[in-house]
Amino acid sequence: MAKVSRAWGPLSRQAPLAVMVALIGACNLSAQAPKITEYQVKAAYLANFGRFVEWPNSVAVAKSESFNICVLGQDPFGADLDAAVTGETIGGSRVLAKRISRPQDAVDCRILFISSSEVSQWKEILTALRPLSILTVSDMPQFARRGGIIQFLLDGNRVRFDINLAATERVGLNLSSELLKLAVTVSRSP
Amino acid sequence: MLKIRDYSIKKKLTLMNMLVSGVTLLLACTAFGAYELATFRSTMVQNLSIQAQIVGANSASALLFNDAKSAVNTLSALKAAPAVLSGGIYTLAGESFAMYRRDTGGHSPPLPPMPAGQTEEHWFADKELKLIRSIVFQGKLIGTVYIRSDLQDMNDRLLRYAGMVVAVLSVSLIAAFLLLTTFQRAATRPILQLAETARIVSREKKYSVRAPSTDSHDEVGLLIEAFNEMLVQIQARDAALQTSQEELEQRVTQRTAELDAMNKELQAFTYSVAHDLRAPLRHIQGFSNLLMESFASQLEPEAKTFLQRIGEGTQQMGRLIDDLLSLARIGRQEPRLQATGLNSLVQEVLRDLKTETEGRDIHWQVGELPFVDCDPGLMKQVFYNLLSNAAKYSRPRKPAVIDIGQMSVEGQVVNFVRDNGVGFNMKYANKLFGVFQRLHRKEDFEGTGVGLATVQRIIHKHGGRIWAEAEIDKGATFFFSLTSQNDGRQTANGHEGGKNGYDKRT
Repeated sequence: MAKVSRAWGPLSRQAPLAVMVALIGACNLSAQAPKITEYQVKAAYLANFGRFVEWPNSVAVAKSESFNICVLGQDPFGADLDAAVTGETIGGSRVLAKRISRPQDAVDCRILFISSSEVSQWKEILTALRPLSILTVSDMPQFARRGGIIQFLLDGNRVRFDINLAATERVGLNLSSELLKLAVTVSRSP
Repeated sequence: MLKIRDYSIKKKLTLMNMLVSGVTLLLACTAFGAYELATFRSTMVQNLSIQAQIVGANSASALLFNDAKSAVNTLSALKAAPAVLSGGIYTLAGESFAMYRRDTGGHSPPLPPMPAGQTEEHWFADKELKLIRSIVFQGKLIGTVYIRSDLQDMNDRLLRYAGMVVAVLSVSLIAAFLLLTTFQRAATRPILQLAETARIVSREKKYSVRAPSTDSHDEVGLLIEAFNEMLVQIQARDAALQTSQEELEQRVTQRTAELDAMNKELQAFTYSVAHDLRAPLRHIQGFSNLLMESFASQLEPEAKTFLQRIGEGTQQMGRLIDDLLSLARIGRQEPRLQATGLNSLVQEVLRDLKTETEGRDIHWQVGELPFVDCDPGLMKQVFYNLLSNAAKYSRPRKPAVIDIGQMSVEGQVVNFVRDNGVGFNMKYANKLFGVFQRLHRKEDFEGTGVGLATVQRIIHKHGGRIWAEAEIDKGATFFFSLTSQNDGRQTANGHEGGKNGYDKRT
């Protein structure tokens, strides 16, 4: 059994997350209107991944001013990602959504979503990101097997994900078992 | 049914002590039971709360990443707690996200609302304990755990406890009863013995008994001592009373004997005086007669008159002596009772009175009189005196009417002699029967003043009663009753014989 969490925060910070969880619930029932889009769910997941990941200490200090979630390439979320992160904090830092066009701009990003528009350059992008402790996420097929960390999948109309543990360890990240148990597959591809 | 206040002191003591111990034990058991129940309930709530916290913490990621299967997996750990009926994870909107049920089937129970400002709440209701707990992850509220547990454990425990209470109570009460019967014997035995002694004293009036004393110097010991002391005093007083009563009786007997002796002496004296007076009287009579006959020619007419006066005086004195003698005789002798017809007695008396009433116009009206047990000689004397009295005091009447008969006064047969003579003043009725008591002047009506006294003495000797009613100038009536004629209320001698005599007549 896991240890009981005693970290109960003030209730005033609950509102945005509440909206999200309510959305997920509604999506699950799938009879509710308005219809929740796939990228609304993915935006919510992106906003929550950070809560189950530990960054190396050096990174935490270097990037302390804000917790940046970046989108590289053509942005499929639009306003949904901004909505998902508004008012959220992770580890005491405000969560911000940023759009970047070059992998070099990802230096101050904690999480990087690589858009499917970059599918042709995925090898270069991953190589560029290798020295950085960044949680890479994408819905490109074979992303996890090719060296990405988290890859979104569609299981029916449910959004799920695969995790590449080897890629995680390579960039010095530590994923919570809570996250791992939810993954469809946890691989160790190099 | 006997009321409690009529119970014996022994029963009361037992009942009281048993009640006290029973109530005390029951109160103690109830208090312990209530404490036990409260403790058990709070333990139950605490355990369920811990389970809810664990489930909540382990379902946080499942909730965030919409993985109901994973949440169900987490919930299935509740299987380890057999009391848990169901456990559910609910979204913030209150919709069921994942559910575990001990018994298959049934719907997800609707989530009870969380009171504002709280993260946990529980209810005991309807044979189950319900607990909800907010799932908070990194300071964010993300859902609610809702666990329902049955109260089987608590009920089993209560039942076991009740059984234990019954066992403890019965064993304690039996033990208390045994101890009480042993110890109270020492406390109640003196009281019971005292009560028994008091019963004997009041029932048999026997003051010589004593309540057995105890060695204890408590209130009961004091009571017994005081009671015995009281008995001693009563006994002493009883004895004193007895002694003084005996003394009194003895004195009465002595006095009676003295009086009897004196009375006899007096009677003997009267008799001998009267008897001895006769001889000189006869001398006076004889010699004055002789003087009259032998020396009549030599005597002056005045001397003759004196001699005549002497003759009259001696005659009168002779009658007086006769009467006194007869009165004394009556006092000395007991009446010899025999059945006698009063009518024949009255006829005899009327014959005797013939010379005395020569030339008088008297209407004798004699009614039917009874047969009675009496001394015929004495009873004749009674009638003689009463009838001659009646004739004497009715002398001024022409004709004189004298009734003799019987009547019933207050159920008693009473004989009466009524005349229409001069009567007397009732004021002096009490003097009527005294010796030498006269209500009329000797010059008007001759007599010695002994006749009615003699009558009364005879009637009293027969155990009867005599009285008179009269009015001046309207005549007098003398009534008398005899024991033999009454209904048995008088207890003087001749009671049985009297009855027989009366019965003989009928």
